[in-house]
Amino acid sequence: MSEAMNVHSGVAAAHAVHHDDHGHHEQSFISKYVFSMDHKTIGKQFLITGMVWAIIGGLFSVLFRLQLGYPDQSFPILETFFGHWAKGGQIQPEFYYGLVTMHGTVLVFFVLTAGLSGTFANLLIPLQIGARDMASPFLNMLSYWFFFIAGIVMLASIFVHTGPASGGWTMYPPLSALRQAGEGQKIGTDLWLISMALFIVSSLLGGLNYISTILNMRTKGMSMTRLPLPIWAMFFTAVLGVLSFPVLLSGAILLLFDRNLGTSFYLSDIVINGEILPNEGGSAILYQHLFWFLGHPEVYIILLPAMGMVSEILSVNSRKPIFGYMAMLGSLFAIAILAFLVWAHHMFVTGLNPFLGSVFVLLTLLIAVPSAIKVFNWLTTLWRGNIRFTPATLFAIGFVSLFISGGLTGIFLGNSTIDIHLHDTMFVVAHFHIVMGVASFFGMFAGVYHWFPKMFGRYLNNTLGYMHFWVTMIGAYLIFWPMHYQGLAGIPRRYLDKKGWVSFNQFGELDKMITVVSIIVFAVQLMFVFNFFYSIFKGRKVTTPNPWGANTLEWTTKINPGHGNWEGEIPEVHRWPYDYGKDGRDFIPQTEPVGANESKH
Amino acid sequence: MATTATTHQTKWWSGGKSPFNLEYGKLMMWYFLMSDAFTFGAFLISYGSIRFSQNFWPDPNVVFNAFPGAGHANLPLAFVSVMTFILIISSVTMVLAVHAGHKGDKQGVIKWLAWTIVGGLAFLGCQAWEWHHLITGEHAVLVDGQIDIIGQTTGGNPWGDLVSHDAALAALQKTPHETLISLAHQSNHALTHEQLAALTDQQLIKEIKLDELHIREKGPIAFGGYFYGITGFHGFHVFSGVIINIVMLLMTQKNVFQNRGHYLMIEKAGLYWHFVDLVWVFVFLCFYLI
Amino acid sequence: MQHPAFEEVTIHHEHTDDATFKKKVRKTTILLSVITVIELGIGLLIYTMHKGENPNELLVLMFKGMVCILTLAKAYYIVSVFMHLGDEIRNMIMTIVVPLLLFIWFIAAFIWDGNSYKNLRNTYDKHFQETTMPAKHQHKEEAKPVEKPAGKE
Repeated sequence: MSEAMNVHSGVAAAHAVHHDDHGHHEQSFISKYVFSMDHKTIGKQFLITGMVWAIIGGLFSVLFRLQLGYPDQSFPILETFFGHWAKGGQIQPEFYYGLVTMHGTVLVFFVLTAGLSGTFANLLIPLQIGARDMASPFLNMLSYWFFFIAGIVMLASIFVHTGPASGGWTMYPPLSALRQAGEGQKIGTDLWLISMALFIVSSLLGGLNYISTILNMRTKGMSMTRLPLPIWAMFFTAVLGVLSFPVLLSGAILLLFDRNLGTSFYLSDIVINGEILPNEGGSAILYQHLFWFLGHPEVYIILLPAMGMVSEILSVNSRKPIFGYMAMLGSLFAIAILAFLVWAHHMFVTGLNPFLGSVFVLLTLLIAVPSAIKVFNWLTTLWRGNIRFTPATLFAIGFVSLFISGGLTGIFLGNSTIDIHLHDTMFVVAHFHIVMGVASFFGMFAGVYHWFPKMFGRYLNNTLGYMHFWVTMIGAYLIFWPMHYQGLAGIPRRYLDKKGWVSFNQFGELDKMITVVSIIVFAVQLMFVFNFFYSIFKGRKVTTPNPWGANTLEWTTKINPGHGNWEGEIPEVHRWPYDYGKDGRDFIPQTEPVGANESKH
Repeated sequence: MATTATTHQTKWWSGGKSPFNLEYGKLMMWYFLMSDAFTFGAFLISYGSIRFSQNFWPDPNVVFNAFPGAGHANLPLAFVSVMTFILIISSVTMVLAVHAGHKGDKQGVIKWLAWTIVGGLAFLGCQAWEWHHLITGEHAVLVDGQIDIIGQTTGGNPWGDLVSHDAALAALQKTPHETLISLAHQSNHALTHEQLAALTDQQLIKEIKLDELHIREKGPIAFGGYFYGITGFHGFHVFSGVIINIVMLLMTQKNVFQNRGHYLMIEKAGLYWHFVDLVWVFVFLCFYLI
Repeated sequence: MQHPAFEEVTIHHEHTDDATFKKKVRKTTILLSVITVIELGIGLLIYTMHKGENPNELLVLMFKGMVCILTLAKAYYIVSVFMHLGDEIRNMIMTIVVPLLLFIWFIAAFIWDGNSYKNLRNTYDKHFQETTMPAKHQHKEEAKPVEKPAGKE
C-alpha cells in the first residue's frame, strides 16, 4: 500500500511541476479570457453571457407587452426593425407567439439556469470550500462553451426565415410536433430542440463538476456542516440538474423523432388542414409528464442558488448568525426531494387521472413546509440584527418578500380544484414570475452586488444600486400584482388579443399601466448593466481583502486572486461560517481556530 | 485487515480528502452514469406508459423469432439470447482488463480490451442484422379490408391480433394482384415469380396457404418507434463505448498510462462499458421478455 | 495552480489476490448466465401459455413479475461486482442507490397515468375500443382451431 501512495504523490509532484511551467509564462489573451480554465473567469463568462441573454429576453417581453397594452396602436418603428413580423407597425400573431416562446426559453434556461447557477456555482464553489479550482477545469470550460453553442443555435433560430420556435417554452406536442401547424413549427422548433440538447450537455458537465468538487475538494476542516449555505444550495441544484435534465433530453429526442422520423410517440388521431395523419397510439400527455419531470425540478434549479446566496448575504449584512443552519439544510434537502415528486401539478387539467392528480396535490402542498421554514429563518436572521442596507441586502430582503407573495399563490394553484379555474390564466403568469422569475433575479442581483468586489476588485456604484433596487422592486409588484386580478377574472395567458371578450374590456387601462411599468423596469435593468460594465473599469477600488467583514473563505484571498486562488497554502477551516456578533466580536473568520473559552454557537 | 482499521479511524467528511476515497474522475463517471440511467429510465418508462395505454401489445416471442441463416424457422428469443451473452462476456473481459490495469499489466490490458472491443462490435453486428431483418421482413397484414405486406418500421407494425380465417379469405378477394403474387410465393416456393404472375387472382388465392401465413391486423405503431428508438440509443452507447475502448487501447499501446503510473482511465471506461451492459439487461427485459 | 492529482484519495484500494478475484468473476459470470437462461425459460413459458386455449392472465403476470425480479438481481450483480460498487465505502454506495429510489414514483405515476389514459379512451372513445381491443374468441394467437397449422410451431 505504501508503494501505491508513493506512486500517487509522485504523480502529484509531476502535476505541480507541469503546472508551474504554465504559471511562469504570460497567459495569452485567448487562454486567459476566452478558453479559460479558471473557474472565476468561467463564472464571469456565464454572467456576462447571461446578461446579454437577459437583455434579449427582456426586450422580447417589452415587445409583446406593447401588443398587450396597446393592441390597436401602430408602432412604425417595429416594422423598420422586424419587417413582415410587424406589418404596419403591429406585432403579427406568429411573431407574438415566437416572442412569448423565446422569452420563456431564454429567461428560464439561459439566464436563470446558466446565468445564475453557472455564474455563482463557478465563482463560489472553489472559493468558499477552499479549492484551487473545480475538480475538472477542462470539463468546466467545455460546460461554458456548450452553453455558448446552445445560445448560438437558439439565436440562429430567431433569424431563420420561418422564425423561431413558437409553441410556448414548454413546447407541447402535438402543436410542436407538426410542421404543418405553423411557421414557428418548422425549422425553428428543430433548432430549439437541438439548442436544448446542447444546453443539457452543458448543464450536465457543469453539474457533475459542481457535485464532485463539493464532495472531494473541500479544504482541511471544511466538513459538510461547515459549508456556507450557498454551497449547499448549489450542491442540491447540481443534483437536481444531473437527475432531471436527462429526462428532458429523452423527451426532446422523442419529439425530434416524431417531427422528423414519422414516429408516433406523442401523436394520435390528428386531423390537420383537412389531412388525416397516419400517426396512432401516441400520447400528448406523455410529453408533458417527461417535460415536467424536468420542468418542476427546474424551477428549484433556478430558485435554490438564489436561496443560498440570500441566506449568506442576509447573515453577513445583519451581522448575525444565520438562524437555524441545520433547518436550512434540512429544508433545502426536503425541497430537492419533493421537487422530483410533484411534477404533474402542472398538468391537472390535461386529462390526467384525477385520483393521481390528488396524490400530486398532497405532495405539492408539502412543499409549503420547508419553504415556510426557510422564510421564517430568513426573517429571524434579520430580526434585531444590526442591518447594513447595502444594495445586496436590499435585494436579498426583496427576494424574501417576493418569495412569500409568490409562494402563497402557489398554494392556490397547487390545489387541483382551484386550478381548474386558474390554470392557463394570467394568475399563473403572475405566480411564477414573482416566485421564480423576479425572486431568482433578485437573488442574482444580490449575489452580483455582494460578490462584485471579489470578481473585479471594485464596487458597483451604490446610488445606481439603490435606484435599481427600488424601481425594480416597486415595478415588479406593479407589473405582476394586477395580473392576479386579471387571472381571477379569467383572462387567458398567451393570447395575442382579447378584444373579442366584452368582459375583459375593463382591463384595458390596467394592461397599459403594466406595459408602461415594464418598459421602465427594463430601462432600469439597462442602467444596472451600465453600472456593471462601468464599474468593472471605473468603479471604486476595493482596498481591503474583506470589505463586508464576512467569515467565508473567499475573502481570505487577495483582492484580485489569480488562478489557484490562494498564493500559499490553502487555509484550514476551524468553524462554521456564521460566527457573527459572537463573544463581543463582530465576526470571526472560518480560518480562526476555536479559542479555549469560546462559547458554543 | 489494515484497510478496515484505517477506514474506521478516518474522519471521511472533515475535508481535505474525498469522503468516498475516490478520485474525482471516478466520482464524476458514477454520477454521469446515474444521470444517463435517468435518460434510459425515461425512455423505458415512456414505453411502459404507452404500452399500458394500449388495449393490445404484441407478444415479443412472436416478433423476435428469427435467427440468421435459419430461414423461416420459428426460434423465439434465440438470437437475442446470443446478443445478451455476447454483451455479458464482453463485460467479463472488461472486468479482466480493469483488473490487469490494477496490476499495471500492460499486455493484459491490451489483450482483454481487444476482446471487449470484439464483443462490442459483434453485438453491434447482431443488432444491425436484427434491425435489417425486422425492417425488410414481409408480413401479411389486414389493412382496410385488404391484405398488405409490410415490415416492422416506425410507421407500421405487422404484429396485431390474428385475423380469422374467414376474414382473411374475404380480404384476399380485394387484394391487388402484385400482393397476391408475393403471398403465393411465400406459400409455394416451387413456382417462380413469372409462373405465378401468369395465374389469375383466384388461382393465386388457391395457392396461398392461409394457415401458414398468420395474417394479422396492424399492431400498435408506437412499438416500432420505441423499439428502434431505445435499442438505437443503446446501440449508440455501445458504439461510443467501443470508440472509447479503442482510444483506451491505443493509449495503453502508447504507454500513456504506464507513464502516468496508473490505469484509472481504464477503470472509468470499464464503468461505462458495464453500464451499457446494465442498460441492456433492462432493454432485454422490457422488449424481449415481458 | 491545479489540484494535485488525486491527493483526495486517502487509502489506496486494496486489491484482492489474483485467484480470489478470478474466482469471484467466474462465479458472477456463471450466476449471470444462469439467471439469463432462467429468464429465457420463463419467456418461452409465457409464449407457450399465450398459445394455449385460455391463458391464465394472473399466472402470466406472475411470471412477468418473476422475470423483473431476476433482472433486478442481474443488475445487482453487474453493479456490485463488475462495477465494484460493492467494494466502495458505504456512503458512496448510498449516494448511488438512494437517488435511484426516485424511480419508484417515476415508474408508478407514469404507468398509472398510461393505464388511466387507456381506460378513459375505452370509456369515451368507442372507436378506439372497437379497433384496438382484441376480440374475445381469438384472444391469443393460435387460439382458433381453424388456424392451427399442421405440424408446425
